[in-house]
Amino acid sequence: MSIRLLVLIPVAAAISLALSAAVDAVALPLFLDTTGTILATALAGPGVGIATGVVTSAVNSLRNPTFWPFVAVQVIVALYAWLAARAGLFRSFKTAVPAGFGLGVLAALTSTPISYLVFGCTTTGGIALTTALGRALGLPPLGACFFGSFVADFGDKAVTFALVTSVLHGLPRRAAARFPWALRAIGAA
Amino acid sequence: MTRLHPFTLLAIAGALPALAWLLPAPVGGLATAVVALGLTLTGGARLTRTAVLTAAPFWLFLLLLHDLPTSIAIGLRVTTMVASFVWVVGALPPPRLVEAMVAAGWSASVAYVFAATLAAAPVLRARARRIADAQRCRGLSARGGLAHRLRALWALALPLILSSLHEVDERALALETRRLVPGARRTPLSPPPDRGAERLARWGLVAACAAALGWRLR
Repeated sequence: MSIRLLVLIPVAAAISLALSAAVDAVALPLFLDTTGTILATALAGPGVGIATGVVTSAVNSLRNPTFWPFVAVQVIVALYAWLAARAGLFRSFKTAVPAGFGLGVLAALTSTPISYLVFGCTTTGGIALTTALGRALGLPPLGACFFGSFVADFGDKAVTFALVTSVLHGLPRRAAARFPWALRAIGAA
Repeated sequence: MTRLHPFTLLAIAGALPALAWLLPAPVGGLATAVVALGLTLTGGARLTRTAVLTAAPFWLFLLLLHDLPTSIAIGLRVTTMVASFVWVVGALPPPRLVEAMVAAGWSASVAYVFAATLAAAPVLRARARRIADAQRCRGLSARGGLAHRLRALWALALPLILSSLHEVDERALALETRRLVPGARRTPLSPPPDRGAERLARWGLVAACAAALGWRLR
């Protein structure tokens, strides 16, 4: 791995951690905690993306230990983002947003068993409340847990994919060309 | 406790939640939660308060979603995990962990990635707040409907991400001049001492977790 790609890992992980400040400023119910993972994958491939996801989870766990069991979700996100980059799905919002919705479903499917088995579906206040809503609607416990995760992830991952698309298109071509996957991800190579 | 080798601290923090899940509830979870909360007391009442305040919402939502025995069983496990992590974060300064990793023969690149993320996260958070202040001065409003808020999010997130990516080349150059290339070995300045008794204790913890798993599976 080149030094540039090695440096990209902590920078992308720190972006994921710092975006919470931007989300707080606009008071939107989003996490954007996989932005760095998706961005690193779209720029540099799955190895860098997975490493970014693992580091993001590890450092996030120092602040809130409940993040660590969800490291598997970060790995799945990196692999999905790699497939999306290979297919050039970051070329426009029209392709990126539906791909983000797909990731939302996949992320909810991955996080549901972890949330159910480890935390009894109580990972964050918002998810616990939507899970309670699912129970009130008559869903079985696992179904209600998926409902809570789905509501949290579906929009979040679509916004994250759209944001990464904006970043990839906002990078000057010469800067993007220094990363091995960037131009292919936006369909320019 | 803070004098223990970083790997020993991590082994204790990893073994307690593992045992909480493996030992039968609620007694196993209660025992591990008591030990984990006791460990936080060795770092001062502030750590214990942090652990209790972090675990408290889980108990609230568990009682909302589950019956009492299930809530107690899961709640004690989550409390063990939270208290163990809070304790190890308080007892283990990251630079000491990096020194231990380098001394143990880990790649300097791995140690760099971990340490650089810890250092970069607060810097980027502060930059995000400065960007938010600057955009507000230019008239950005975070009020209104969903589309308006998303536009505001873009105005905050894009400068943050793009400026961070532009720093990658600068950082790479700085590392290359310090010869931090993949595969290079570094010499730790003050590696934490790793006593034989501690190495034995770490293997003991691994054996205890394996024994608990075997006992549960029989």
